[in-house]
Amino acid sequence: MTDHHSEDIAHRVEGGDVAPGDVIHGEFTAGWRTYVLGLAIAIGLTIASFWVAQTHLIYGPAIDMALATLAVAQMGIHLIFFLHITTGPDNTNNVLALAFGILVVFLVIFGSIWIMIHMNQSMMPPTGMPAPQSGGM
Amino acid sequence: MKLLGKLDWSAIPFDQPIPLAAGALVIVVILGVVALIFAKGWAPYIWNEWICSVDHKRIGVMYCSLAMVMLVRGFIDALMMRTQQSVAFHSGGYLPPEHYDQIFSAHGTIMIFFVAMPFVIGLMNFVVPLQLGVRDVAFPTLNSVALWLTAAGVLLVNMSLVVGEFSRVGWLPYPPLSELTYSPGVGVDYYCWALEISGIGTLAGGINLVTTILKMRAPGLSYTRMPIFCWTALASNLMIIAAFPVLTATLAMLLLDRYLGFHFFTNTMGGNQMMFMNLIWIWGHPEVYILVLPAFGVYSEVVSTFSGKPLFGYRSMIVATMAICIISFLVWLHHFFTMGPGGDVNGVFGIASMIIAVPTGVKIFNWLFTMYGGTVRFRVPMLWSIAFMITFVIGGMTGVMLAIPPADFILHNNLFLVAHFHNVIIPGVLFAAFAGYVYWFPKAFGFKLDEGWGKAAFWFWVIGFYLAFMPLYVMGLEGMPRRMQSYDVPQWQPWAHVATVGALSIMCGIACMVIQLVVSIRNREQLRDDYGDPWDGRTLEWITPSPPPEFNFAVMPNVTGEEAYWGLKEAAREQQRITRPVPEYEDLEMPRNSPTGFVCAFFAVMMGFALIWHIWWLLVLGFIGAYATLVVFAWRDLHERIIPKEEVARIDLENRARRNLALQEGRV
Amino acid sequence: MTATDAHADHDPHHIGHRGAAGYHSMAVGHGEGGPASKRIIVGYGFWIFLLSDFVMFSAFFATYAVLKDRTAGGPGAHQLFNMTDIALETGALLLSSFTCGLMSLEMDRKRLWPTEAWMLVTGLLGFLFVFLEGREFAHLVSIGDGPQRSGFLTAFFTLVGCHGMHVSIGLLWLGTMMAQVYFKGFRQDIQFRVLCFSLFWHALDIIWVAIFTLVYLIGVHG
Repeated sequence: MTDHHSEDIAHRVEGGDVAPGDVIHGEFTAGWRTYVLGLAIAIGLTIASFWVAQTHLIYGPAIDMALATLAVAQMGIHLIFFLHITTGPDNTNNVLALAFGILVVFLVIFGSIWIMIHMNQSMMPPTGMPAPQSGGM
Repeated sequence: MKLLGKLDWSAIPFDQPIPLAAGALVIVVILGVVALIFAKGWAPYIWNEWICSVDHKRIGVMYCSLAMVMLVRGFIDALMMRTQQSVAFHSGGYLPPEHYDQIFSAHGTIMIFFVAMPFVIGLMNFVVPLQLGVRDVAFPTLNSVALWLTAAGVLLVNMSLVVGEFSRVGWLPYPPLSELTYSPGVGVDYYCWALEISGIGTLAGGINLVTTILKMRAPGLSYTRMPIFCWTALASNLMIIAAFPVLTATLAMLLLDRYLGFHFFTNTMGGNQMMFMNLIWIWGHPEVYILVLPAFGVYSEVVSTFSGKPLFGYRSMIVATMAICIISFLVWLHHFFTMGPGGDVNGVFGIASMIIAVPTGVKIFNWLFTMYGGTVRFRVPMLWSIAFMITFVIGGMTGVMLAIPPADFILHNNLFLVAHFHNVIIPGVLFAAFAGYVYWFPKAFGFKLDEGWGKAAFWFWVIGFYLAFMPLYVMGLEGMPRRMQSYDVPQWQPWAHVATVGALSIMCGIACMVIQLVVSIRNREQLRDDYGDPWDGRTLEWITPSPPPEFNFAVMPNVTGEEAYWGLKEAAREQQRITRPVPEYEDLEMPRNSPTGFVCAFFAVMMGFALIWHIWWLLVLGFIGAYATLVVFAWRDLHERIIPKEEVARIDLENRARRNLALQEGRV
Repeated sequence: MTATDAHADHDPHHIGHRGAAGYHSMAVGHGEGGPASKRIIVGYGFWIFLLSDFVMFSAFFATYAVLKDRTAGGPGAHQLFNMTDIALETGALLLSSFTCGLMSLEMDRKRLWPTEAWMLVTGLLGFLFVFLEGREFAHLVSIGDGPQRSGFLTAFFTLVGCHGMHVSIGLLWLGTMMAQVYFKGFRQDIQFRVLCFSLFWHALDIIWVAIFTLVYLIGVHG
């Protein structure tokens, strides 16, 4: 069993394939440092998000975009520091799979929103009255 | 609280002779088979070697067998619909509306989820590891779990025949009709839970095969050397991974509406039923390609093998496959053009739908050019492939017609549409399944299927197909809506008669296939495939003996070019003996068989049944049982058993000897 | 095929007809070196499962986005949520993701008690998260704003509840793994399972980032 494990380590060190979640330089202190750094940035981004949501310093309509940007940044931080997904050649398959997943997620969310907005518009009464906000009968 | 929830004697349809008799017949047959198994003392063999098996080949065979049994069930539904429409002019026919509605719902559900899916998954399971030159899939026990969860879904659907009722709202449960207000019975619940359970199995299988293809290939088998069937399997399983979770989520929302009074798709309180159409087709359109891409892979293998040529345009085939894999996620709206998303949205999706015909066209040309200049052998798999090419082009072109939104406004929801999707899915998936069945049967069982009965089945099927579905185009153009239990337009009836004759011809085709199987088993010694390469194949599965040993390959093949096996065979033919040196055999570790899959599925059925009938204590029991099963499996200490190298050497040397003999006799 | 290998040999960036020699990665599992190691196979398989889970969540997110203004006369997002609780939940889950990482580092060193201790901390933080969320849900239901109230609340309860259910299942899994590590030690397959668990746990935190941003922060602000 230890043979298998050292073989895995060997793959990682020699730039073979890596599994998602594998710390590439599997040393303890380096790993610890990665997680602390990741945590620090994530805390910073979280606080920033909560602050942005309440502040009046930012131009109102831009707040949603700022929040979305912070969220994307934070997801990236989680991927890199906690899930150890990188762009190294040994990570190609992991990243390609992620890219495919992200593509589908985007298609599902934004495709649905786009389609449903248009459908709701078509459902509006012909007089041009706004559709009832409640969506009730 | 009642101990059995909603379940009581009124659930058994004593007043409806047809389902009751059919259900009774099925139960008698199952009991008969079980009794036979025990009487003959086969039970331990069946349990240990099949039900608990984690061997990808056996799991593949079981998937395909499941699909073939369900094909008969789904076909009987089809025959009932066709005869009903034949006689239902100005009359109620012989099927009451609520029964007719269950039949067309069950027909669609069964044919897609429990015939096409398991057949295609079964073929991939059997073939892919062999073509990749590896010993099993990435997660063998998960594979078994996936199989048995699919079987659990099948069981629930068939249970609805006798206990309660099946869904009456079509193969996709569109709300608000499928909401509790309008479908208060258990039919929709049967449908949803059967699909939720089998959907988990499908997802598990998809993860398994993608991991296998991307991470477990024989040395040297780089991406541009993989057989095209593996490429199509990769694309198909990637789509399973990306699409099936949406189905799971959508049906879960419908179930929450039905069970807990949520408002996803209700008419009132802010629900939005259009969202259901949107979500279900985000899954539904990729599903079409999940089925058809592996089928294209089968045709590629068959056409190449029986033309005696490498596949024309191998790389363009890969590009076309992966293009379809992506574009198929961009066309879902063409299933609801008429629901009012408006001109610009319809335009975008209409154009995307037409674009997806391009890579498909590329494939058709590639197959044609593969045949061109080749030495074509018109064996049964090749016949299916040629019938596919002709028929599928017709279906594809009517599909492009339907992709034009204005035309779709006239043709949607009538028999033209029904004719179209049968015209793509029957040649596109079912013919491929049959071609693959005949093509890989000798690999699985060691003997070929009878050629004469196979050809008879082919002709009955193809002629039956044209007779059954071409009239539907005409009826559609004459304005007949789909799913009509009775009608009063005299022009439709003659065409309905023709379609019924077609269905009867297909019935003869199915009968021929049954006879073919029986005859072939009886004549298996004459049909024996003694050295493992009955069709003069080109990919790695044909290097193994038929049937392959449990470990597939005694030593992992080292791939040095495209068509890994063909190169070796050429060299061997020249020297009239196997040119590979006898390898150093080693002890092999193979995964141990496990009842985990079967037991999990047992508890899944228990939970599904409990949920359908609101028997809450049984649900808790089922959950605890399933969890306990997983823990027991996780606590297992020995995952593998060793096949000693002597055993490996004996099997492999015997195979080499047989092949050498065949080479010397010039039979290879 | 073989003819082009020669070219590919010289040009590592050559696109297209690459043979074995010109292929840029000698990594196992890419075809050249044969099947990848078990650890990579397990990790990759689970990674794909997580991606499929993301896709499932995307369906719930899309539904939330579509139904969020359909309040049927009931309350909207900005009237309902207690931001202090959300901040607490976010902190608990983020910290648990961090301790989960430390757990996997200790597991790499095969130290039993530190591993178990970090597992326990991870689990407690996860439990705190589920508890706070459960309390919020119970409160909403008690004031008559349960999921049956409107399309918006239906979508909200389902999206957030689905995440909460994932965390709960994660807790059950974590408890099982604690027992397994204790009784069976750091067997290879058990390490793989813990690796998968930590991937799962980190992924849930990613989903939570999307939820607290889209549902709570943007909801309350908008």
